[in-house]
Amino acid sequence: MTLRIAAALAAVLAAATPAAAQTYPAKPITMIVPFAAGGPTDIIARIVGEHMGRTLGQQIVIENVAGAGGTTGTTRTAQAAPDGYTIMMGHMGTHGAAPALYPKLKYDPTKDFEPIGMAAGTPILIVAKKGLAPKDLKEFVAFAKQGGDKLNLAHAGIGSVSHATALLFNASIGTKPTSVPYKGTGPAMNDLVSGQVDYMCDQIVNVVEQVKAGSIKAYAIATPDRSPALPDVPTTKEAGLPDYQVSAWNAMFAPKGTSPEIVAKLSDALNKALADPNTAKRLTDLGGVLPEPANRNPAWLKGYVAQEVARWTPVIKAAGETAE
Amino acid sequence: MTTMDKGAPRAGGAVRAPQDFAAGLFLMAVAALALWLSSDLPLGTMRAMGPGMLPRAIAVLVGLSGLVLAASAFVSDGEALTRWHLRGPILILGAVAVFALTIRTAGLIVAGPASMIIASFATDEVRWKEAVIFSVAMTAGCILLFKVALKLPIPVIAFM
Amino acid sequence: MDLFSNLALGFATALSLQNLALCFVGCMVGTLIGVLPGVGPIATIAILLPITFGLDPTGALIMLAGIYYGAQYGGSTTAILVNIPGEATSVVTVLDGHQMARQGRAGAALGMAAIGSFIAGCVATVVIAALGAPLTKLALLFGPAEYFSLMVMGLVFAVVLARGSIVKAIAMILAGLLLSTVGTDLETGQERMTLGIQDLSDGIDFAVLAMGLFGFAEILRNLESPEARDVVKGSIGRLLPTAAEFRQSFWPIVRGTGLGALLGILPGNGAVLGPFASYTLEKKIAKDPRRFGRGAIEGVAGPESANNAGAQTAFIPLLTLGIPPNAVMALMVGAMTIHGIIPGPQVMEKNPTLFWGMVASMWIGNLMLLVINLPLIGLWVRLLKVPYRLMFPAILIFCCIGIYSINNNPTDVMATAVFGLVGYVLFKLGFEPAPLLLGFVLGKLMEEKLRQALILSRGSFSTFIERPVSGTLLAVAVVMLVLALLPSIRKGRDEVFTE
Repeated sequence: MTLRIAAALAAVLAAATPAAAQTYPAKPITMIVPFAAGGPTDIIARIVGEHMGRTLGQQIVIENVAGAGGTTGTTRTAQAAPDGYTIMMGHMGTHGAAPALYPKLKYDPTKDFEPIGMAAGTPILIVAKKGLAPKDLKEFVAFAKQGGDKLNLAHAGIGSVSHATALLFNASIGTKPTSVPYKGTGPAMNDLVSGQVDYMCDQIVNVVEQVKAGSIKAYAIATPDRSPALPDVPTTKEAGLPDYQVSAWNAMFAPKGTSPEIVAKLSDALNKALADPNTAKRLTDLGGVLPEPANRNPAWLKGYVAQEVARWTPVIKAAGETAE
Repeated sequence: MTTMDKGAPRAGGAVRAPQDFAAGLFLMAVAALALWLSSDLPLGTMRAMGPGMLPRAIAVLVGLSGLVLAASAFVSDGEALTRWHLRGPILILGAVAVFALTIRTAGLIVAGPASMIIASFATDEVRWKEAVIFSVAMTAGCILLFKVALKLPIPVIAFM
Repeated sequence: MDLFSNLALGFATALSLQNLALCFVGCMVGTLIGVLPGVGPIATIAILLPITFGLDPTGALIMLAGIYYGAQYGGSTTAILVNIPGEATSVVTVLDGHQMARQGRAGAALGMAAIGSFIAGCVATVVIAALGAPLTKLALLFGPAEYFSLMVMGLVFAVVLARGSIVKAIAMILAGLLLSTVGTDLETGQERMTLGIQDLSDGIDFAVLAMGLFGFAEILRNLESPEARDVVKGSIGRLLPTAAEFRQSFWPIVRGTGLGALLGILPGNGAVLGPFASYTLEKKIAKDPRRFGRGAIEGVAGPESANNAGAQTAFIPLLTLGIPPNAVMALMVGAMTIHGIIPGPQVMEKNPTLFWGMVASMWIGNLMLLVINLPLIGLWVRLLKVPYRLMFPAILIFCCIGIYSINNNPTDVMATAVFGLVGYVLFKLGFEPAPLLLGFVLGKLMEEKLRQALILSRGSFSTFIERPVSGTLLAVAVVMLVLALLPSIRKGRDEVFTE
């Protein structure tokens, strides 16, 4: 007990010295996950964080700070001391769609963070209730255009991945269905399986078993390649909608001002985790897609975030569905 | 200490159930507050209910039940109001506020004893030496329980 | 018979030394966090997830499930001893359980809660094993309209719960509904009544509200009336229920188990309604309903059984549909996913050892909980002997840490202080906080389902009556409301006449 406190004190003192970057990390690192435990981002953070902790010689402690579509935890990270002991796992929403969704956002994804690197993305699928008439994506697109607001789209709440990606899908095929908001993916999936709603867009990990069991059907997966988890589901390109390419990416960020040495150490540990066959397998088993080796560095992520913010802003603004 | 006179009819004055009367006024105040806070929210239609529809509808009902309660206080007898105390609420809730303010800035090592010692003074039975020793021991116990055994990410020492 | 070979497989899995040990650890940790106010299974399971990395998935899930139902068990202890409901499902236990403790019958209340939970747990395990798959269809019958009607029925329960003035009870339910609308609007994303505070944008957390209204307000209340708490200290009473109390509790346990098991299967956290439904039923059919709220043992035995049965049958939608009905189950999905098993309709066929092992472990876990909890009753009851000047700072610090750990957010702690003040005002004005909490819990689901149903029906209210399940539920609600109001209307008329 006293030993632990002494050790913690020593660690705190060590961190406070100017030579912090050399001795980093001298105490456990907190990784903020801005969502509730058990969701895809949380699981990816835990799998990657566990291996990184071994590389760095210090445990990475996951702290779930859920709220307001992930922006609560992201705001806290942006305001944290840039000493390398507070980092976060951000995603497509917090660092892409949030500026358009939340006009009063207290952070700027492109300016308030030091990107560390991309962890993994989860592909988006277009799924529908099993009794829906269209057989494939082409038929569905025609059906949706004709049906207009007669069609019911389920999503997991304003600002969720399933909401943003559905907005993008609707915009790319030019239809405006009736949206039915749910609180989370679970209840939305329940009503899709029981046929109360017609279709939704969601991450592969949330839909894969339902598709396999035939309780819902999948029209297409929005990635360049088919997923090994669902080899029979065509890509959007094959199915005739090549423009709809979207993935719920998850990437690590540190607060602005974190020293480049520390960011390099973290980025290096992240790359080692992604290169580890066991960790990589666990991520791909979830249906996760690892970034290309060339895209596993902070500089690439910086550019990607800017690109994503620019991509989501017009889509969400056009739909007029923002959180005020 | 307390003044619990049950059901004794008030001599004089039209209000026969002061507690219910105050309760009714309280509910009406809550309703007014909710109506004011939700006044800028669109009501929407039945097909597409707006965000303001339910809060305002419920607030009106809360206000109505307050009205009924306050009105009934003139008709039937009820309980009297008891004395309001300040020491308990201020010290207990103050202690909680101190915990909230210090847990992330100083850590449990400060927040624990500080809040418990402040709270201890909410009763006349306080013995300050005992309170200090007990709060320090409890904090140590909490660190063992929450931090070491359950591994919750609670800051133990956050200053420096 | 397939069931027996499956159960044999399950027990063979669950009885391995490692799985037994994991089940025990889970039950112990669950009991501990259940007793600690505020520290819920969600935070703990999340923290323990990485520790389970090294285990095989069956073992990991056996442990995590143990934490979950162990916490339901432990939660009743805090509710009975210090009048703090740790979760929505123990709000009802507070009503009569704490009254029993005040009368020196804490041991009987705790004992009956443990025994009722054990029986309910055993029955629920059999239900999962034998009927899990067919019952899944029930979950799929419930769309938004049905769910809304079920919630309306729940509100009627709340009226029946009331002790004392019915107007005050209705006002509290409405206030609870009002509080539940605070936060971001589901459909438009607009912030409602948040006073511009960002932390309120997801609404008010149940634990924050409950800990303020019950936990802190209770401390303030006790500080004002020392004689009330001295009653608790005065006599400990027997540690186990008497034979008469057993006889009184038998049918409530049976009925509570049935109601809880049925409601637990429903999607969207139907398990919350179980204890309320059980309490309502017992109070309605009791010879002397006035005993309820004043330490009636049926008011502990029934709801506690319903609570535990529901906690277990809540696994059915998860294991047979792959759809988590509540936040803890969503975390279980995460736990399974981390181990490479994505829950879905095929878990039962593809991972029979996991499914049946878990079912068998639940029965073993319930037995363990009984063995862990019965001897602890003596210890808990003795805790009541601690002088109150030491007890309340301890309760305070446990509550603070517990609330902080929900979201690691100090603002939550501050909000609890505010609700503590509200709770004190309500106490002074003679309001009961229990109907408010129920209104709050139901309100969140109710608005969501109401609006979804109306979007799907394109604004037509007849959807609630035309759909058979929904219409039936509404009819039951109306009948119950009439039954609940009749006595007080009659009484009110009698009073008018005597005047």
